[in-house]
Amino acid sequence: MFQPQPTPYSPFSSYGAVPEFHIFQQSQSGRSGLAVDSGGPTIVQNPIFTTAANGNPSSNIAPALNFSNNTSTSTSTSRFEMAENNFDDLERQEELARSFQPNLQGSLVGEKRSSHAITEAYAKADPVYVAKTAALPQKYSHYRPVLGDGNCGWRATGFAYFETLLRLQDKAQLEEEIARMTSLNNLIARVGGFDAWMFEDMVEETVSLLRDMADSIETSPQTAEEILMQRFNESDISNNIVYHLRLLASSFLKSSPSSYQDFIPDNLGVEAYSKEWIEPPNQEIDHLGMTLLIDVLLKPIGFAVEIVYLDRSEGSQVNSHLMQPEDENGVPTNPSGPIIHLLYRPSHYDILYKDMDSSMPLQQALHDATLNPNIQVNRATSFSQQHAIQSTSMNDFTNLDLTSLLNIPGFQCAPPSHHGFPAQFHSPIEQPYAPSPISTSISPVSPGASSNGTSSNTNLSLSTNFSLQQSSALTSPAVNISHSSHAPFPPQNMQIPIHPGVPQQQISPHPGPPSIPTHPSISSQHSDLPSPTSANSPFRPSKWEWGARVTEQEGPVVFQTSTFKNSHYNTAHYNNPNFQPEEWSPECEEASNGHAGGGGGRKRST
Amino acid sequence: MNYAMEDTQNSAPGSVPAVQAAKLASRKGPDAQSTTKRLQTELMQLMTSSAPGISAFPSADGNLLSWTATIGGPDDTPYAGLTFKLSFAFPSNYPYAPPTVLFKTPIYHPNVDFSGRICLDILKDKWTAAYNIQTVLLSLQSLLGEPNNASPLNGEAAELWDKDPEEFKRKVIGRHQDIEDE
Repeated sequence: MFQPQPTPYSPFSSYGAVPEFHIFQQSQSGRSGLAVDSGGPTIVQNPIFTTAANGNPSSNIAPALNFSNNTSTSTSTSRFEMAENNFDDLERQEELARSFQPNLQGSLVGEKRSSHAITEAYAKADPVYVAKTAALPQKYSHYRPVLGDGNCGWRATGFAYFETLLRLQDKAQLEEEIARMTSLNNLIARVGGFDAWMFEDMVEETVSLLRDMADSIETSPQTAEEILMQRFNESDISNNIVYHLRLLASSFLKSSPSSYQDFIPDNLGVEAYSKEWIEPPNQEIDHLGMTLLIDVLLKPIGFAVEIVYLDRSEGSQVNSHLMQPEDENGVPTNPSGPIIHLLYRPSHYDILYKDMDSSMPLQQALHDATLNPNIQVNRATSFSQQHAIQSTSMNDFTNLDLTSLLNIPGFQCAPPSHHGFPAQFHSPIEQPYAPSPISTSISPVSPGASSNGTSSNTNLSLSTNFSLQQSSALTSPAVNISHSSHAPFPPQNMQIPIHPGVPQQQISPHPGPPSIPTHPSISSQHSDLPSPTSANSPFRPSKWEWGARVTEQEGPVVFQTSTFKNSHYNTAHYNNPNFQPEEWSPECEEASNGHAGGGGGRKRST
Repeated sequence: MNYAMEDTQNSAPGSVPAVQAAKLASRKGPDAQSTTKRLQTELMQLMTSSAPGISAFPSADGNLLSWTATIGGPDDTPYAGLTFKLSFAFPSNYPYAPPTVLFKTPIYHPNVDFSGRICLDILKDKWTAAYNIQTVLLSLQSLLGEPNNASPLNGEAAELWDKDPEEFKRKVIGRHQDIEDE
């Protein structure tokens, strides 16, 4: 409750049992706000402690500050106790209780601000806070302060619920929510045991907000957002919505007491707990309350909540806890759903935001996906003809080939399939969507090559082709040329048409199953040379194609073969000083892309 | 507080059409708008399904935030046969804050002081928006028969309640006096 830091903005003025403390804290934070504005020395101006400060003329600022803090804390504490004990003084208590609400200042739900404000607010606090808040903005760029009136947790979650619905821009979902909220009245009345006349007004605020948002979401999202802010800052509407949430949580608790019984503190029992912790209008949300709210409000529509804990626990990073919809086995049912981030400081909640629309990782991934292929394809055009071809051709049957070939290493078809083995070929284009695990491992290589391609198209294309061809079979330079000539074609062309213009042996095998007959010829040649090694692992050929890097990743055996076959070119890739600078920097990008692709592949595989 | 109450009084006359119009058209207005609506609903509830021995009505001046209520002393208690008037003052954020309830009729009770102020948890920190005028009155009624002597406002009464019921009853009768309406 007693935050150690003097801050200009005091989001921690969380609800306390004794209003007096708030009054005091308010004034204190107000003062210190002035002080912070103009730097340390002005702290002396703090009127409350004027005498003390004057006593030690500004020579000793830090002690003065400490002193003032200590004093304030102890004073308010003692007053707290007095007020608690002094039940006789009803008049005073009543008065304080009445004056409590108006003393909280600021809007119920504030505007989004940069998270750096939090860092600044904690700049003079405990080192743990300093470290944690310093790291906070890296992950969460913005936050939205919520007034600490005892409803902050409820209000923050409620606001985030509406805001996320807004962000999804889905009118149909808003309509569904209207229906869901309305239907939940049954739960509140029958299970919760609340009078309909009592909660109908509250529910109506929720529903009407949803409806107004739905009405304007398509024509003017901006308006919808304004409506949301306005409603949540109008205390009667806002409180109605918040209390609706409390009733939902309470009713939900009563609907499945067995699930939550063990979490109820002090053996209160469901009824008493609800009366004590959920229903009192300014009662802070506790952990169980938050769980209930998430369970009844957010999980059913696939929203997840990440609670970020900013406290004095050990560590330099804030701890966080993700609560998301899961099935009975604990598997997330909607892993790509929106995520609401809440910042929890002891007895207070605010809303956090990640840089982009953090609530839509899926869309973000798709966005990345659409970006990446472009980049890659552009680079790849010069050299990745075969890749493109192979990728398209192998798309469907690659996986089958892969397994079967793996199982039958000596099989003749294996080598060609390796060539065809399109992991890396996939990667440039399809990576983000569904590359196989192998593609991930290999993809980092192709980027390097591709980058080379951009820098010196012919050279690179030649070199890569060489590697491919060498590994695959004996190929004539003509083939290479034809490939490079294809390079200018747009990626789509490469993907779909499978290079009708290149009828050569090399390409024909790759396009697809029908071409398999041709494979043997090539592969046979291929396998003839390194037959023992080639037979060993179906992965090898692809490594050949892609050179040293792959071998590094996959294992030494292939490295040997590659050195035999491709050493010249591979070293040219990586040892040639002309190539290196070009290769490396884009490679990093590609590597990361490769990761993304790997993720996609994993998803698909599961 | 006072400002809010006055605002409410002036701008929300309490007629149903006004409230509905406000809801449909402008969402802005005094905070007490939903309070007014709530109190109107409660009034309807009390009028249609009133519990025995209990009544409540807005004060005659038309201010919906100020009510007068009566409860009858429960049988088998020292208060049997007596009726007590109470005043309700609703904050502008009712029901999200409890009303201020005072005994207008002088009463001798462990949890009521001589100014009529009441010590009852649901009127303090245990208040919830699910409570309402009727439940408060019922709670007060039961408080008459079951005082909370652990935290008395009237120490003497708390003592007598246990030690000397006769004397207690005498004090109750002696203190009680019917007051005139308004």
